[in-house]
Amino acid sequence: MSGLSRDHVRTMMGEVLAAQGKQLPADDSTRLDGIGFRSLDFSELALRVEDELDTELNFDAPELRSVETVGDVLDFIDQLQPTA
Amino acid sequence: MSDPVSTQDPIPAASCVLITGGTKGLGLELVRDTLQRGAKVATFSRKLTPEIEQLQQEYDGRLFAAPVDINDQDGVKRFFKDASAVLGPIDSLVNNAAMGQDSMHLHTSPEQIARIVQTNLTAPLVLTRAFIRHAMAKTGRGRIVMITSVCAQRGYSGLVTYAATKGGLDAAMRTLAREMHGRFLVNSVAPGFFASDMSSVLGTEQLSTIARRTPSGRMVTPANIAPVVRSLLFDDTNLNGQVITIDGGSSI
Repeated sequence: MSGLSRDHVRTMMGEVLAAQGKQLPADDSTRLDGIGFRSLDFSELALRVEDELDTELNFDAPELRSVETVGDVLDFIDQLQPTA
Repeated sequence: MSDPVSTQDPIPAASCVLITGGTKGLGLELVRDTLQRGAKVATFSRKLTPEIEQLQQEYDGRLFAAPVDINDQDGVKRFFKDASAVLGPIDSLVNNAAMGQDSMHLHTSPEQIARIVQTNLTAPLVLTRAFIRHAMAKTGRGRIVMITSVCAQRGYSGLVTYAATKGGLDAAMRTLAREMHGRFLVNSVAPGFFASDMSSVLGTEQLSTIARRTPSGRMVTPANIAPVVRSLLFDDTNLNGQVITIDGGSSI
């Protein structure tokens, strides 16, 4: 099973934000609190990724606490995905 | 068939207590406190620690400790036999062993949910059954304390299954108190958050937020819990079927 590309996940993250009338900046170093991307938004993104992969990506909350920027989100989703 | 209330003597103080998960943290504090009170103690955890081995040397013949996983039913049965062969009949139980959780329900796997329910609810219920059967046959009466959590009463994110198991134990405790009337005093002690392996996953900011929102101004420590458990094990309080919450008032 191959994972989703970083760009694909980025697009999905943009869709999660767009559904709330928010925009995803191009800069990966943008802080999440600055764009209103909250923990449940991350959950929504993770569930969308699960749908695409048809597999569950379960994780503990402490792992998520170090996620602070857009790039961190993309890195975190990347390492959660099963390797090919 | 019922006993007239007026003829019912108080349940005697504990003389030999099984404390699960007694090799570190709150369990170790409870083991130490119970030994200091003069009772004998049997305890098990998956692994022994230098601290419990030190106590075994200090309290030779009064403390029986062995490495047993609470989910290992045969191991727990053997432990009961071995411990009572060394210490004599066990008349009291503190259900302390548990595993923590820090994951949102929607991101917790069904397998992990099953593990938490098994360790925190099923295993303590099976152990409590074994204890009651042992104590009924050997001593006839005794005391049971469930270490539960304020999470069973208030909502805390990341603790759905953990809270369900602790609430389950509180419910079982009340029913047992009714079922075993006149034979066993059964109560729960529900700590708030305190520094432990289970809270170590919380960030510094979260811990300071908890302390700030606690009316007493400080988080609970195992040393705060021990005197309450001690009273439930040794004093003639006639407390039965109750949950005593120790959280510095954060749940009021």
